[in-house]
Amino acid sequence: MIYWKLHNNYPQTAEGKIENRDTKLRIQDKGIRYFLFLFFAFSIFTLFFPPPAYSIEKKTIGVIMTGDIPYYAKMHKAFSARLSREGYGDMEILLQKPYPDQISWSNAARKLIAVDVSIIVTYGAAAALAAIRETSNIPIVYAGVHNPAAVGIAGKNTTGAVSKAPTSSLLRYLKSVTNISILGVLYSEIEKDSVKQVDEIEDISRDMGFKILKINIRRPEDIRKIKGSGKPDALFLTCSASVNMAVDAILDIARTEKLPTASMLKGENNSGIIITLSANPEEQGEMAADKVIKILKGTHPVTISPTGGKNIELIFNLKENMSLGFKLPMDLVTEATKIIQ
Amino acid sequence: MLIKRISLIKPMILIFILIPVVTQAGQNQSMQELLIGLIPEQNIFRQMDRYRPLAAYLSEKTGLKVRLTILSKYGDIVERFKSRHLDGAFFGALTGTMAIIKLGVEPIARPVNQNGTSSVRSYIFVRADSKIDSVKDMNGKRAVFVDRATVTGYLFAAAFLRENGVNDIEKYFTEYFFTGSHDSAIYSVLDNRADIGSAQNTFFNVLVSKDPTIKRELRIIARSEEFPETTLCMRKNISPGIKNSLTNTLLNMDRDPAGRDILKKFGASKFIRAEIKDFNSVFNLAKRARVDIRTYEGDR
Repeated sequence: MIYWKLHNNYPQTAEGKIENRDTKLRIQDKGIRYFLFLFFAFSIFTLFFPPPAYSIEKKTIGVIMTGDIPYYAKMHKAFSARLSREGYGDMEILLQKPYPDQISWSNAARKLIAVDVSIIVTYGAAAALAAIRETSNIPIVYAGVHNPAAVGIAGKNTTGAVSKAPTSSLLRYLKSVTNISILGVLYSEIEKDSVKQVDEIEDISRDMGFKILKINIRRPEDIRKIKGSGKPDALFLTCSASVNMAVDAILDIARTEKLPTASMLKGENNSGIIITLSANPEEQGEMAADKVIKILKGTHPVTISPTGGKNIELIFNLKENMSLGFKLPMDLVTEATKIIQ
Repeated sequence: MLIKRISLIKPMILIFILIPVVTQAGQNQSMQELLIGLIPEQNIFRQMDRYRPLAAYLSEKTGLKVRLTILSKYGDIVERFKSRHLDGAFFGALTGTMAIIKLGVEPIARPVNQNGTSSVRSYIFVRADSKIDSVKDMNGKRAVFVDRATVTGYLFAAAFLRENGVNDIEKYFTEYFFTGSHDSAIYSVLDNRADIGSAQNTFFNVLVSKDPTIKRELRIIARSEEFPETTLCMRKNISPGIKNSLTNTLLNMDRDPAGRDILKKFGASKFIRAEIKDFNSVFNLAKRARVDIRTYEGDR
């Protein structure tokens, strides 16, 4: 319409004929008119029916979940559910569950890189570090990492959800269950996050007046060391995947030896751990999903700040505590966000 | 905006099951009874441990049967004072001010802490490793308060935030909640269940004295002016004889060896006379927080 109005304003001869120069222009403009028509029609269509960000090219997300521990399983379930709710449910998610050792973590990362995933999501620090080692191009979104800065998780392509809960608080609650002279700290020397926790507990132990007994758990059979390496008064389970994979066996020993237990990772609903202070795994998974969606929409990971979990859960298992013959002071019980009885 | 409301059901059940709701402090059934209310300013178990010996002492010395009852929460304390026919109550600074205005109660005595003060302050605190240094840094964080009907656990923080440009805490924080007790508010920040907390200095200091590591883990970013300590106020039409007997017993406790023992357990060095003018600082704070005490309900 605009074109014709312009055309009608073209200068005419005294006989009312359009000049030859304009006639030529009109013939050449036919192609341009057709192109413009299609362009406007497409623009208007896409204005009302915008395609999802990923529909042009279906993308794949790779996930590395160390072992098969309940904390990470809950995280992954929440991660997938959040993606679905936000309209990304038909994305392909490739889940790798490596055994907690360096070669398995690296292999898991390499497999995901080989199939050209768009983003790698990792649960736990060790998996995140393996992914960072293997690729510098693919964005990495981590979740369930206690202290990313302390273990060197950083980089232009990395962001994620931090699961830090105060170790000192958990120790304070554990000390209220029983007098602790020696605390058995279960960790894995190949999982940096858990090594850092051991260091932190060692620092705190000086102020709180107890000694720590470091018990390195790399394989399930290593739990025998709990009995063989001194007499701890209580057991502290760090965020190590190796430790948490062996939690049932550890609890069997704790029951036999009458040792109260504390953990930084929320397990099954009635796992048998007496005190748990943990970042909520579902929230961690959802936070990771939100970051993945932002990246899929085109935001560069460097502009997405890592965020800490806001939902910290304090769980007291009074049933287990009583069966071991311990008493938790009632004034502390009232602090719990969840009580198992 | 999410307001997490801590369920009161669990603590209330515990009150009724695990401790006697009413502490009998006197054996003679013919004694005249005096029912004194306690606001749940600290963990109810610790609070009963603290007040029980005092009630027993007062019963013995006055010949009155002093019974204690813990009120389930701060907010409706004025209503409960009436409905439960209380003779008196140990009120906090704000509930005391509300009770003076709405019920005409009369302050009679308040304890002097072992450090020689008979006043309290509010602390606003964060974890020591927190990046929060100012009100501006609090935007989008989680805050924990004790109760709307406390000066040290809420009203000072409300005034402080308002004076620093925060008119609507619901929008300013991603989440805020009330724990119902000062020590619980402190534990919430320690455990990282909240980023910013507000609580009374005396409870803060008690926890720190029991566990010095707490002091290193928390950082105080604001301190209030002084407000009166928990004050025993009696209903307006109580007999002068009972009021005087109770007042004199409390004011002379520090001269009696048995009284000194009780005071020590209570965490005080003596009791001093209390007056309505002690509460002027609360009126001033209420003005700063734009709260009208006459109409303030204090309910959550």
